[in-house]
Amino acid sequence: MATATARSQRLPTWLAATAPLALILLLGGLFLAFNPIGGLREVPPVEAIAFERTVLEEDSIALHLRNDGPDPVTVAQVLVNDTYWNFSLPDRTLGRLESGTLRVDYPWDEGLPLNITLVTSTGLTIEHDIEAAALTPAADASTLGVYALLGLYIGVVPVAIGLLWFPALRRVGKRWLDFFLAFTVGLLVFLLVDAVGEGLELSASAPAALNGLGLFAIGAFGAVAALLALESFLRSRREAAHGGSVTGLALAYLISTGIGLHNLGEGLAVGAALASGEIALGTFLVLGFALHNTTEGLAIVSPLGSARNRPSLWHFVAFGAIAGIPTVLGAWAGGFAFNPAWGTLAFGVAAGAVAQVCWQIGRSMDRGKGLVAGWGAAGFVVGLLFMYATGLLTA
Amino acid sequence: MGEVNRRRFFKRVGAAGALGGAALLGKAEPLLAQTGHHANGMQRASHGGMGAVGEVDHEANGFDPLEILTDFDGGEVSKDLSGRTVREYEFVTVDKEIEVAPGIFFPAWTYNGRVPGPTIRATEGDRVRIKLVNASGHPHTIHFHGIHPAAMDGVPGAGEVDPGESFTYDFIAEPFGTHLYHCHSFPLAQHIHRGLYGAFIVDPKGGRPDANEMVMVMNAFDTNFDGENEIYAVNTIAFAYMNNPIEIQAGELQRAHIINITEFDPINSIHLHANFFDLYRTGTSLRPDEFTDIISMGQAERHMIEFTYAKRGHFMFHAHQTEFVDLGWMSAFQVV
Repeated sequence: MATATARSQRLPTWLAATAPLALILLLGGLFLAFNPIGGLREVPPVEAIAFERTVLEEDSIALHLRNDGPDPVTVAQVLVNDTYWNFSLPDRTLGRLESGTLRVDYPWDEGLPLNITLVTSTGLTIEHDIEAAALTPAADASTLGVYALLGLYIGVVPVAIGLLWFPALRRVGKRWLDFFLAFTVGLLVFLLVDAVGEGLELSASAPAALNGLGLFAIGAFGAVAALLALESFLRSRREAAHGGSVTGLALAYLISTGIGLHNLGEGLAVGAALASGEIALGTFLVLGFALHNTTEGLAIVSPLGSARNRPSLWHFVAFGAIAGIPTVLGAWAGGFAFNPAWGTLAFGVAAGAVAQVCWQIGRSMDRGKGLVAGWGAAGFVVGLLFMYATGLLTA
Repeated sequence: MGEVNRRRFFKRVGAAGALGGAALLGKAEPLLAQTGHHANGMQRASHGGMGAVGEVDHEANGFDPLEILTDFDGGEVSKDLSGRTVREYEFVTVDKEIEVAPGIFFPAWTYNGRVPGPTIRATEGDRVRIKLVNASGHPHTIHFHGIHPAAMDGVPGAGEVDPGESFTYDFIAEPFGTHLYHCHSFPLAQHIHRGLYGAFIVDPKGGRPDANEMVMVMNAFDTNFDGENEIYAVNTIAFAYMNNPIEIQAGELQRAHIINITEFDPINSIHLHANFFDLYRTGTSLRPDEFTDIISMGQAERHMIEFTYAKRGHFMFHAHQTEFVDLGWMSAFQVV
């Protein structure tokens, strides 16, 4: 034992740290050079292609393809609605994880479904369905403006309106405050479930090789870790000044951040769905989202109800901006640069952030006891029901 | 890696190298624009954007659909003691990957490396002897549509040949008509669909009037093996006669032997544009049965049709199951 310690001490740290790495690289090199299990791969190639982005222009379809299988894939022919059609693809053979843009000049019909089938050199078919063909909005100033306006309507404005509940909250008693805090937790739990569902659904359409579930997990746990670090920083400052736990104001900021990250994902989903023609921009959709998100404003101010001093107006502007503006950014990203892998990551971040904020609020309510007491439990359930009911409007 | 692929691509594109080069450089427009013109300047119909991109390498396949049309094989001819004509053939079953549409490779089972197999042509009453050598990985047969003894039926138990073995089918060619042969090993759909079939033409003793004769085998390929065809064609190659129309003479009598061997679909058909044809059902009569411009057939149904184009021009012919058209069964005559 003593000898071993002595010997390891003679070994420089850098060598001790890099030696295993060097060995694994050597092993990898030998493996690639001699391919000892080569005999096991005498089977047909596994061909897989993911469709990352679809752009429909007048009489033209552009598809961004990525090879997400283990073997190279050669796109031999393209079928549009069961008809062989002329196409262009700069390099028809895509290596592992390589991407390319396939263009087909095809007189598609507005609102009707389109099926694009790639026939590979081995005769395998890989299909992509467009549920309802619609012109992909060009990223010009006017379309960006429309998407920004949409984001403002469904994100910023409702959250700001929800913040106006603050004066009323100041006047209600402790029971009602507990009720509304628990209501907020219920609402956030609903958003959490929503973000997990959306994220996992999206992860399925991300290239398999990019491991959508892994991206979701990185986003979720990364967000939890980041917010925990932020909270501990805020608490250490607070302890240095006054002692005690996180203030209502800090909690309100945390909730704003969590909701903002969720709204980034929501904007992304709405923008992408609009651009791909999956949903139409109906009045009900906008009104539904607006009503749905108004409650988010209430959620932000609920921890401020018991504050001794009224926070300055600027804090409220900041809450609205942090929680609402990501909807605009999300709508832009979703509409003009959507990519299922990034979308999955974004929903992961949203889920992690919202979960962390739920936990924060719960702790602030008499260390969790307030949440399960009569008024709290009622508020929690009403929060869930309220989100469910307003969510029906967007369905 | 990119270079290797490009080289392979150029090889496959072959004669259409210029077109392929344009595609590789990402210049799609010139490629699309050129599809409106035939390589030798012949007028060619526009099909919008419909069709396959590129050309099939017929040389690598070992057969050319334009040659298969008129490639009648009378066999090794001799007389027996009674003075009867004897036609001898040797068929070898070979597993072979063939390009059925530009860039799409199908793991075919073939007679003599081609799909459809050789067109056997005999006269009614000739003795036909076909030696089948099985050089593939599965048992196979040749089952002829015609009249023959049970022992020559080409089914499991009567002329099925194991890999490495051989068998000689020996019978008198009758009745006259447009017939076919195919493998009858089981599973049957698999053995037929993979490419083991061909034309068996028996002429009447007195012959028929002079004509330009063609064999058209309507077939299809389920390239992803899901029980539905991805490719339909006449003589195997999708869009072959659309991209390179069949040249025929105005005023000359045309005689086409149409055979349907399409698997997985119950029916196929042929329709001529701007013309009508005399239909000889199964080719077993000297007088036409019908005067029409379309004939539908179930699997293994086959007919002989005769027609003449009076004027020059470009005339389509195709299945009138239009989904088959979009998937490759589109052809044309260039009447000169």
